[in-house]
Amino acid sequence: MIPGETGIYLLMAVVSLISVIAVYMAVKERDLVRAVIYSALQSGLYTVLYFLLLAPDIGLVYIPVAVGLIPGVLLILISKTERWEKE
Amino acid sequence: MRLVEIVVLIAIALAIAFLITVGFKYIIPLTSVRKIAEFYLYATYNSFKLENYTAMSPEAVTAIVWDFRGLDTLFETSVFYLALIAGLALTRGLIIERAESSGYGLSVIVKTVTRITAPMIVAVGASIALHGHLTPGGGFQGGSVIAVLPMVLIVVFSAGFLVLRGVTTSKLIIMRSLGLFGIGLTAIVVFLAGLATSVPAYVFQNMIKPGTGVSMPSHISGVLISGTLWFFNLFEMFAVAAGFSIAFIALMLAKTLETEKGD
Repeated sequence: MIPGETGIYLLMAVVSLISVIAVYMAVKERDLVRAVIYSALQSGLYTVLYFLLLAPDIGLVYIPVAVGLIPGVLLILISKTERWEKE
Repeated sequence: MRLVEIVVLIAIALAIAFLITVGFKYIIPLTSVRKIAEFYLYATYNSFKLENYTAMSPEAVTAIVWDFRGLDTLFETSVFYLALIAGLALTRGLIIERAESSGYGLSVIVKTVTRITAPMIVAVGASIALHGHLTPGGGFQGGSVIAVLPMVLIVVFSAGFLVLRGVTTSKLIIMRSLGLFGIGLTAIVVFLAGLATSVPAYVFQNMIKPGTGVSMPSHISGVLISGTLWFFNLFEMFAVAAGFSIAFIALMLAKTLETEKGD
């Protein structure tokens, strides 16, 4: 049986790994709308990290800003410009 | 090319895993509390032994943000305000606020669900902000939760929905300015009270400090409000919610005008 603390650190490690993959996908993605969604996924995983690191204040501000507001602004700006990234 | 990408991805993942495994002994936060954290935890809510230094708030983060380092937070708020002013200056002349027909938007189901959840978003945001001195949260957190609502309304209904209902950018700027005015007034209210009663007092003073004679009330009719913290959170909530809403409305309406010009 894994002790509680080690389990939390293990969960943090897994969440960080998935967030790194999400960042990689966001950087490599040519479709900017999907890149924004990957970026929001990374932000959501970071919120889990903040919560597990006992910083719920940052988590509370991170959810609406990084998952709600910034993707909203970016999607508006993408709709004003172009959806596909060029070489 | 595809193989290279996969190798890079695996290398990154392995590197992070290696760091976490090796740094297990070093990254982990200590179980003991550092000296400065000990002081904050001791002084944040301690009306029994430290009645001249305490912030009278059970929430250490809000006490630090708005009391121990209140001036920093004031300047952060003004930086946000200046950024917003710059953004509005960029869209100057592009915004025409006029009523347009509200026959656009998503389906009836989405609209109905949004009508039901809209008050909930405001309630959650207000709860986070107004309980900021008791539980995790605060003015910025609550304000940004509330600011999600205009974005949802704009997406679900139409770009002109809020303007049609009388929520124009000029009104939101007035609301934001009132919020900032309230923050400034809360910062100097104890100082003004000290001037009026001719006892020494500080700017950004919350509870009574050594050498001063006046203090914000920590309770109002038995309810803990932690002096200035509750008012700071309230005004910051208005300022942040209005600020983000201005940005969205300005962006969306500038877009509609541009497409109309193209026609």
